[in-house]
Amino acid sequence: MKRIEILNFKSPNRAPLKVEGFLFGEDSKGPSIAIVGAMSGDHINQLYVASRLVEYLRHKEEEGKICGKILVIPAVNTYALNMGQTFWPLDKTDINMMFPGYTQGETTQRIAAKLFESLQGYNYGIILEGRRDQGMCLPYVKIIKSDYEDLDVARDLGMRFIHYRPYSPIETVMLQYNWQLWGTKALSVVFGKNGSINHSDSSEVQGSLVRLMAKRGILDLPVFEGFVSNIIHPENITLLKASHAGIFDSVFTCGSSIEKGDTLGSITDALSGEQLEKIIAPVGGVLTCQYSHPLIFQNSIAFRIASVEQ
Amino acid sequence: MSIGVIEEVFSIDLPVGEQFRIQRCRYTPERGEILKRISIVSGIHGDELEGQYVCFLLGEWLRANPEKIKGIIDIYPAINSLGIDSITRSVPFYDVDLNRIFPGSKNDFLPAQIADGVVSAMMGSEIAIDIHSSNVFLREIPQVRIAKSQAETLVPLANKLNIDFVWVHDAVTVLESTFAHAMNTLGTKTLVVEMGVGMRLGKAYGHQLLDGILNLMACEGFLDIEPLDVRMPIQSHVGEVAYLNASFPGLFVPAIEHCQMIEKGSIVGQIVDPLSGVTLDEVIAPIGGILFTLRAYPIVYEGSLVGRIFGENV
Ligand SMILES: [Zn+2]
Repeated sequence: MKRIEILNFKSPNRAPLKVEGFLFGEDSKGPSIAIVGAMSGDHINQLYVASRLVEYLRHKEEEGKICGKILVIPAVNTYALNMGQTFWPLDKTDINMMFPGYTQGETTQRIAAKLFESLQGYNYGIILEGRRDQGMCLPYVKIIKSDYEDLDVARDLGMRFIHYRPYSPIETVMLQYNWQLWGTKALSVVFGKNGSINHSDSSEVQGSLVRLMAKRGILDLPVFEGFVSNIIHPENITLLKASHAGIFDSVFTCGSSIEKGDTLGSITDALSGEQLEKIIAPVGGVLTCQYSHPLIFQNSIAFRIASVEQ
Repeated sequence: MSIGVIEEVFSIDLPVGEQFRIQRCRYTPERGEILKRISIVSGIHGDELEGQYVCFLLGEWLRANPEKIKGIIDIYPAINSLGIDSITRSVPFYDVDLNRIFPGSKNDFLPAQIADGVVSAMMGSEIAIDIHSSNVFLREIPQVRIAKSQAETLVPLANKLNIDFVWVHDAVTVLESTFAHAMNTLGTKTLVVEMGVGMRLGKAYGHQLLDGILNLMACEGFLDIEPLDVRMPIQSHVGEVAYLNASFPGLFVPAIEHCQMIEKGSIVGQIVDPLSGVTLDEVIAPIGGILFTLRAYPIVYEGSLVGRIFGENV
């Protein structure tokens, strides 16, 4: 293992921003993969999975099991992680909205450019992503239709669901899209609840990453098969919205199988305590995501249910 | 007498005993048939306040001159009302830039619903003017920014706004999520004004833009007044924009005032280190021209924008 400096960026007053990578194996031996962890300060679970993976790979390297090249960058936005913020602490920009970056541009464009440069030339690219809303979800693969995407790589992770959809305009400045365009088979694994660590999700994600690396000849290890992934298109998802704002209670966990008519949760008036609504499943399926903050807004998406057919 | 009717165009319950709301003040002609509508918008970013003052000035003028009104004039001073009242640029709680979420959706999270509510309220307006004031970091001269694809329709309109600069830029996919793009797509000619600096108020700019809006409304048939004598803005296609980014982290100390003509090679400012007392760098003008953007917030990292110069081709 080599601990390498991806970038070292000076600050006016605080200690420099150091982004570090952990490099295992070498190019000549086999295919290569790069894994990027926390790009935001609230992606703690992503940091956790990436750093655990580094420790795991260190042992595998000692056992001589690495037959390709692996780069893990557990954290990019350490400045935000160290102060409980989400984005770049000075200008509040999101590093994952700055790709492919620009070396002559603004601060986070320069950080993105440096990072992106260090991610070039890998066969596979995995972005460990948190959610961009107040939700929590079953770990899933997010892969966008850029015309360069490779669903077979997503399948080799063996996760239960692959969310496969067209990209939105803002995704053109995100890492996955740009990484794909520059020739790396890139995808995102989305999981957890921002700001916290979920141990079973973490080991599931780590297991999937190891499976992919084994299947693609980067790790020389026998692995169990994962799921035969279900490809979920936007039309397979039912959104259940809160008709009221108030205190939100859920009675199911993500990943539960639910029947049409099940009561999934309820909302009560935050001041009077009166029950305002029960949220009932209009279809059966698997509960993939749910709102995760105790206070809910009117029309917020309380639950997402994935169904086989609609 | 028409003094403007205050209406709530969007309301959504917040979790604990409050509603998020967007209000407008609508002015209608005292008599005659109403054929057209214009929307004046500010506060999509909660830390930008110059537009609030323009809204006030316009409302004050309309209250004093109700007989001049020929179309519907809607004033929306505070789109991100939660943000404006709390110095928060993005939508609070969600930390999402409202101007990157248009056209929004009723089926999505709060910021997207706000965007959808804004679009629904303004849809059908012939013209919209979206007033921004840069951000807390940069001070800007009054300018309108237009995507190249819209230049033919929008530049003639922008020239009526009494601004200093019309900046036509290349289309960028990410900007398809802005209010202006959404409204232009729906057929509302939408101009984005940037002027001043975040969290502050510049009275002169407010009056300058008021004159421009009155002139535009006179020319476009919303007001029964003579067009005003307005300045012709500099057009970006006749020259080039040079970006000045900091090469060192430190404290940026400007050497010249905003909005000055500057010669190539002269000093825009210094970046200094308060700890050692050393001057780290001098920011030099790479071209001559007008310094139309100047950093207002002194702390810089490498890459922080400290200024922009527009120089005419010779
Ligand atoms: Zn703005």
